Amino acid sequence: MAILTLDNIRRGLIAKSQVEVFQAIANTAVKNGYATHADAVIQGLKDREKESTTGFLDGFAIPHTKNAAIQRPGIIVQTMENGVEWDSMDGQPVKIAIALLIPESEAGTAHLNYLSKIAKMLMHEEVRKQLTHAQNEQEIFDILSQYLGE
Amino acid sequence: MAIKIIAATGCPTGIAHTFMAQEALEQAAKRHGVEIKVETHGQVGIQNPLTPEDIAEADGVIIAADKDVQAERFAGKRVIDVPVGKAIKDPDALIEQIISGNVPIFRGKEPVTEEKDVKVETRSGSGAAIGHTIYKHLMNGVSHMLPFVVAGGVLTAISFLFGIYSFDPKSSQYNEFAATLKTIGGMGMNLMVPVLCAYIAESIAKRPGLVIGFIAGMIAYTNGTGFLGGIIGGFLTGYIMLGLAWAFKKLPKVFDGLKAIFLYPVIGLFIVGLLMWVLSSPMEAINKGLMSFLTGFQHSNPVLLGIIVGSMCAFDMGGPVNKAAYVTGTMLLGQGNYYFMAGVSAACITPPLVTGFAALFFRKYFDQGERNAAYVNFILGSTHITEGAIPFAAKNPLTTIPILMVGSSISAILTYLFKVQVPAPHGGFLVLPVVTRPFMWVTAILTGSIIGAILYGFSRKHSTAQQAENREGIASVI
Repeated sequence: MAILTLDNIRRGLIAKSQVEVFQAIANTAVKNGYATHADAVIQGLKDREKESTTGFLDGFAIPHTKNAAIQRPGIIVQTMENGVEWDSMDGQPVKIAIALLIPESEAGTAHLNYLSKIAKMLMHEEVRKQLTHAQNEQEIFDILSQYLGE
Repeated sequence: MAIKIIAATGCPTGIAHTFMAQEALEQAAKRHGVEIKVETHGQVGIQNPLTPEDIAEADGVIIAADKDVQAERFAGKRVIDVPVGKAIKDPDALIEQIISGNVPIFRGKEPVTEEKDVKVETRSGSGAAIGHTIYKHLMNGVSHMLPFVVAGGVLTAISFLFGIYSFDPKSSQYNEFAATLKTIGGMGMNLMVPVLCAYIAESIAKRPGLVIGFIAGMIAYTNGTGFLGGIIGGFLTGYIMLGLAWAFKKLPKVFDGLKAIFLYPVIGLFIVGLLMWVLSSPMEAINKGLMSFLTGFQHSNPVLLGIIVGSMCAFDMGGPVNKAAYVTGTMLLGQGNYYFMAGVSAACITPPLVTGFAALFFRKYFDQGERNAAYVNFILGSTHITEGAIPFAAKNPLTTIPILMVGSSISAILTYLFKVQVPAPHGGFLVLPVVTRPFMWVTAILTGSIIGAILYGFSRKHSTAQQAENREGIASVI
C-alpha cells in the first residue's frame, strides 16, 4: 500500500480547534487503513504537540506521531477553510496540515525516509507556495508525489 | 578557503524536525557560500555521521536538537547549541553567527571519565581502523606543535638578521636584543618535542596522558632523542596510561578523585619516566658513534659523502643523527675544513624548503594551516632552521623522511661537487657574503629542494586519494 494516495488528501475542513483537525486526520487514517483506532491517533498527535509545536511557517503544520494504533506509515493531508491556531513558529494560523503517521514497529527505513522527505520538502518556500495555491486534491497529490519520487 | 561548518540535528520523534532543520541549514549555508555537513539523529538512526576529521576541520558547530546528539565530541570547538526549531525558523542567523566567529568555545557538559575513554579507544582501535587511529593521534600532536615551531623559529630567524653571531657575548656582532630574541625563540622551539609527545599521549589517554606525555617529552628532549623520540614517547605514554586506567577500573568510586590527582600522575610517571630514560639513554652513544664514523668519511668521494651527510641531516632534524652531522661539521670548521660544513648546511636548509615548495606547487593537497606553515618554512629554511619541516615529517614519518633525505642528499652532493666552502656553522642564506661560490651553493640547495618538493607533493596527492577511499570505506560500513 502506498504511503500517499489521492484519497489521503482532504480539503476544505472548517475547524474550530487543533483537536478537530486531528479528529479529521485520524478518521481519514482509519478509513484508509493506516490506523486501527482514531482515538489513539488523536491522542498521539496531541502528545507530540505538547512537546513542541509542529506548526511552522506560512500556515503549514506537520503533526506527526509514532503510535501502536498505526499499522503502516502514511501521509494524510488536511487543508482548512479557516486558519486554525497552532502556536506556530511565525504565529500564523495553520491552513494546511500534513500529518505523518509512523508505526510503532520499526517498519523499514525506506518508508521513514519518505516521511522525512516530505518534511524536508516543506522547507522550500517555493513548495509551500505551490501547495498553498493548489486548486484541488489532484494538484496537491502531484506536488507531493513529485518530491516523494525523487 | 571556504568556512566549514558541521551540524547535528535531532528531535524526539526523529521524522520531521530533524530533517527540516537539516534542509534549512543546508540551504542557508548555500546562500552564504559556506560548506556544511549535517548529521541527523532520526528515527532510522544517525545518518551522514560526522567523522573525527570533519569535527577537527570544522570552523564551527551548530547543534540544533531537542535530544542528546553526543555533544561531548565537540569539546574545544566553537559551538552554538539551540533547540531544533531555531534552525528551522532562522537558519541564516545561526550560519551568520558561526561566520562571524563570535561563538564561545564549548567545554563539554561533564568531565569525561577515564572509563569512557578506554571504551572509546578499544572500539576505534579494532580492525582496519588502527592505522587511522594512529594517524589521528599523531595529527593531534603535530597540530599542537606547529605554532611552537613557527613562533620559535621565526624569532630565532629574526635574531640572525642582526648577524649570525649576534647572540654570542664574545663576538663583535653581539647585540643584546638579538640575543634575547634568540633565547626566547629557542625556548619556543625547545618545547616542540614535549608538546608533540604530550598531545599524542593526550589524544590516546586524555588528561592523564597529557600530564605524563609532557614529562616524557621533556625526557626525550633533554636526552637528545629529537622528534622521533617524542613520537615514540607519546605513544608509549598514551598506551601505558590506558593500561593504568584499565588496571584501576576495579577501584571503588570514592577513589576517583585520588586517581586523577595522585595515582595516575605518580604511578604513570614512575613507569613511563623510567622506561623513557632507559630508551633514550643510548642516544648519546649513537651520536658519538656516528660522529667518528663521519669524520672518517670527510675525504671520501663527494657523492658518497653527500648521500651520507644529506641522509643524516634530514633523518631526524635536530635529533641525535642530525646533530652528529652538524657537530662534526663545526668540529671540522675548527680544523679549517670549510667544505664539509657547506654540505651539512645545504642538507639542513633543504627540508623546510621542500615543504615550502611542495605547498606552493601542490596547493590543494595541503590545508590552510599547513600552507601557512609551509610558507613560513621558506624563512626557516633560508636561515638553517631545519626544525620547520618537523611537523610535516611527523605527520607521516615513514614516507616523508625518506623523501626529505633524498632532497637533502641531492643538495649536499651538488654542494660537494661544486666545491663550495661555508665558514659559518649557522645562519643559512644570511651567511652568503662569506660563502665561496654562493650562487652555486644556492643552486645546489634549490635543486635538492625542488626535486624533494615534487616527490613530497606526489606523496601527498597519493595519500589524499587514499584517505578519501578509506573514508568512503568506513562510511559504507556504518
